Amino acid sequence: MRVSLKYKVLIILVLSVIIGVALYYYGTKARQEQATGEALKDYSYIAREYALDAIYKSKEFPVEVELYPSAYTEAILERWKAISERYPELDYPESAIEARDWIEVHKAFEDTDLLKDVIRKMYKDATIAYEGLGGSYITLLDYIFYKKYEPSNMEDIVIDLGIEPPREEE
Amino acid sequence: MKKKKVIIVTMTIILLIVISYFGFQLVNQNQDIEDAIEQELYELKHTVEDIYAIEFLDDDRVLVFYSWSFPDYSNFGVMELEKTWRGWQFVEAVSNRMEMKNAWLKGVYVKIGDRAILRGPTWASVAKIEIITGDGREYRPEIGKAERNIWYLILDDAPFEEATFILYDNDGEVLHEEVLEFDLNWPE
Repeated sequence: MRVSLKYKVLIILVLSVIIGVALYYYGTKARQEQATGEALKDYSYIAREYALDAIYKSKEFPVEVELYPSAYTEAILERWKAISERYPELDYPESAIEARDWIEVHKAFEDTDLLKDVIRKMYKDATIAYEGLGGSYITLLDYIFYKKYEPSNMEDIVIDLGIEPPREEE
Repeated sequence: MKKKKVIIVTMTIILLIVISYFGFQLVNQNQDIEDAIEQELYELKHTVEDIYAIEFLDDDRVLVFYSWSFPDYSNFGVMELEKTWRGWQFVEAVSNRMEMKNAWLKGVYVKIGDRAILRGPTWASVAKIEIITGDGREYRPEIGKAERNIWYLILDDAPFEEATFILYDNDGEVLHEEVLEFDLNWPE
């Protein structure tokens, strides 16, 4: 069966269009999948760190996740606000918190040098004597997010600075 | 000659459609639900999940109860999957933070799909729970076991704002009695 040149050109053209569309489709899909994965990773991280409730309405592109503060979120924000009131260089983004823009809220913790500076000042301002290692910026984050004091003496520091109430006598 | 070509092309297309249809059916029938759940949870990008229970609402819909966030597993989720021509597909998931600390049990109300669900963590020593509502309804929620224990109740009737929970151990002894309140307007 002989195929005329006209048909050959037409077949090549049609095949080229099909291949082009397929490449574009899979290229776009791959980029969307990557963006979707990164967005879901961010939501998961923020939900865990800020103890948020979450409703996952869509995990395909475009991702649709609604985040809501829980009672534990309020406790995290209270600790953060108490430190920010004494050390204003640690920003407490009231408007982003009210707008529930949690990704934006978390940007306040991006600058580790600032966090190191805050914890250094806290240890300096405390009137109690302490031995061993002082706090690192991780100590500060552990306190704000998990109210975790170990392995430093952060509990004594925050009580001494009036950020936490004194321990109840047993 | 031309007619013959048209018939061949049409038959080929029909054959491809039929083969594709049965191919999808075969893949769907053999899709392992646990593999599908694992894949869907992986795509949610949670850090280490634990599955407590898988509840089939019917042949094509399933609810998965899980917790996540290593190392405390304090985020409790419920996810709905639906069987479609593409296999088991994600419909919706709700995750609630519930820390146990010194509590005997915690609980929240959520609506997922058209179902009202009450659920929360409790201790490993709790073997049975009885729920008694103010209007006299009684329920026996299921208990799922994994890293923690969770209780869950899929309601077919109207949800309730508060109820008495009676917790029993393996010997049928009452461990604890507590009234839990539920916010039926959550998340508003």
